[in-house]
Amino acid sequence: MKVILPGDKISDSPVRTENAIVENGKTYATVMGMLDESRGAFIPLESIWYPREGDFAVGIIENSKNNVYTVALESPFRGLILPPPRPRFGGRGRFGDRGRPPMQEERREIMHIGDVVSVFVKEVKREADQVILILDRPKRLFGGKLMEVRSSKVPRIIGKDSTMLRQLEDGTRCTILVGLNGLIWLKGENVPLAQKAIWKIQEEAHVSGLTERITELLAGNDNGNSNNEGR
Amino acid sequence: MGGSQDKPQLIIDGKRTDGRAPGELRPIKIEAGVVKNAKGSAYLEWGNNKVLAAVYGPKEAQPKHIADPNKAIIKCRYQMAPFSSLEEHNRSGPNRRAIEISKVTKEVFENVILLDDFPGCEIDVFVEVLQSDGGTRAAGITAAAVAVASSGIPMRDIPYAVSAGKAGDSILLDLNKLEDNYSDADMPVAIAPREGEILLLQMDGNLTKEQTIQALDMIKKAGETIVKIQRDALEAKYR
Amino acid sequence: MVGENEEYMLELLGKGKREQERDKMQYRDIKIEMGKIPHAEGSAQVDIGDTRVLAGVKIAVGAPLPDKPDEGALITGAELLPLASSTYEPGPPTPEAIEFARVVDRGIRAAEVVDLKSLFIEEGKVWSTFVDIYVLNYDGNLFDAGTLASTAALLSARMPKYEDGNVIREGNLGKLKTSGKVTSCTFAKVGNTILLDPSGNEEKVMAGRMTIANDENVIRAMQKGLRGAFSYSELSSMMDTTFDKSKQLRDILNKAVGE
Repeated sequence: MKVILPGDKISDSPVRTENAIVENGKTYATVMGMLDESRGAFIPLESIWYPREGDFAVGIIENSKNNVYTVALESPFRGLILPPPRPRFGGRGRFGDRGRPPMQEERREIMHIGDVVSVFVKEVKREADQVILILDRPKRLFGGKLMEVRSSKVPRIIGKDSTMLRQLEDGTRCTILVGLNGLIWLKGENVPLAQKAIWKIQEEAHVSGLTERITELLAGNDNGNSNNEGR
Repeated sequence: MGGSQDKPQLIIDGKRTDGRAPGELRPIKIEAGVVKNAKGSAYLEWGNNKVLAAVYGPKEAQPKHIADPNKAIIKCRYQMAPFSSLEEHNRSGPNRRAIEISKVTKEVFENVILLDDFPGCEIDVFVEVLQSDGGTRAAGITAAAVAVASSGIPMRDIPYAVSAGKAGDSILLDLNKLEDNYSDADMPVAIAPREGEILLLQMDGNLTKEQTIQALDMIKKAGETIVKIQRDALEAKYR
Repeated sequence: MVGENEEYMLELLGKGKREQERDKMQYRDIKIEMGKIPHAEGSAQVDIGDTRVLAGVKIAVGAPLPDKPDEGALITGAELLPLASSTYEPGPPTPEAIEFARVVDRGIRAAEVVDLKSLFIEEGKVWSTFVDIYVLNYDGNLFDAGTLASTAALLSARMPKYEDGNVIREGNLGKLKTSGKVTSCTFAKVGNTILLDPSGNEEKVMAGRMTIANDENVIRAMQKGLRGAFSYSELSSMMDTTFDKSKQLRDILNKAVGE
């Protein structure tokens, strides 16, 4: 494995891949990363979360206007939760279509500015003057603690097949929701320990033997580690 | 650039006032990731210059009317601290010099950052000169380049900058403040090293074409050293 | 400013052509009118194509800079007047206007157009020379027009007298003492093409800009602007073109100031 910096050549041929550009038929990295030459894989060490359909994220309600919520996601783009579509009625009742009392199924949770929510990206919408993220399945998260990590480290915090995340949840008796945007919501018995473990993963994601060190930490055997000077 | 009055000898027996050879850089040290809140940052010491650079964003451009619907815009602020200079107290806030340097610094990063990935967004590049001793715009660009690279904001190359100048008939690399005050020319240059592209070039004083080329060659050669220091600073985080 | 759109400009340049069938390294018509503002100590209006700038020089008594007690001061400003283009807005000077003024200033200063030593009056008192550039109509290449207008205005400026604490600006006056001359050549990079003296439409599509100010065979100031990059060989050939084309600018300048 080799550390690659932006501008370094990662292939002599044009390769369409994330975190790289093709110039004059050659491929160059655009972010820091590790190149696994045997597999030809380029794994970014730092990157910006570029939202995709279906991405899970955690955010904070920033604004609410005309039944549309704006969600701060620590993302380059604004996230919006749109009102659910109204059920259509055939005829015009005496209330008209407007003054009608809300039906049960279209009612949704009322959210307030500052509330923490988990959402899914439904659509990355290119508008005339900006990109907006249409969000759906919003869920209000009550209490708990919100923390921020570098979004490039999220895959390590979740781990392969969510193994790391499960280990964290079990070891701290916490519920942990990890947004791909780098915002993490934690609630449960030992939130400080969970945070400590997550920080450790963030700082040492590139150093091998991470899983063992996290196991140790969660077991209460963290006798200082040369790679972790604490925060 | 100065008048001829009380002009000190800038070169004696082939050595400069601080003992350097004409083509020698001052010592440079860079540390990446020093501002925790920023997406990317770097602290740089270059001779007696001390510079802090940080990058924020991409985020929704504010105010909205300055947003570019097709790509991100860069906001750049270069500033010298009121206490940064050995001589006088600098008034804080941007003066005309700082506004121009902010502009040309911004243009360097407009070239290397992949702005098209983030329509409607802004990326903020801050350069704070804490102590100054000549060549601060080059130091600022070199530091900011490391800050951007450490941020994960996609870029096509990591630029570096350094100045070259002239004293008498000698071309000198990396002028310090004293040399800058009494030199016959000063030419800060920023380069994208991968293809050797010139991203910033300013000059005032007097140079012939041959001297300009000689200065550029010196800058190119110094680039090898500076690029290595930038790389080491970035890789040090992952060793 | 109504003009051709960007695609058209790029297509035209792609075919190796320029508006008004200009060659890549050809200036538009250049005209200098001297003494437009008799109240100013010196003034000159320069037209390059449809770009028009007016430079005015005022000379006033002031304090020297602390580090140059025996020299007068040179202060250069530029205003992109809102009346000169629909893209200019009222307000404090923009970074573009500041860069413009500072690049012109560096050329004039480096070429020692004004003999600053001659501006010493007495201890703590010197003449300050103010050069102000007004853009009256924008159609590209402000830098060359600004440098030409400022140099011409300075070369023709009257020198006020200081007598018994009074400044005398009229009557039998000598001229501001000048020693050098400077002109500049500005290039635009559009795609991979380099053009001398970009028009407003060309500036709309240019990626990079390079200004080289010279005085005979000596380069006095350079400034690269905007996002685009230049290679070493491009810079080298722009220097050669500057040495060549500046002869034309210098002839026009000399004729205008009567030399």
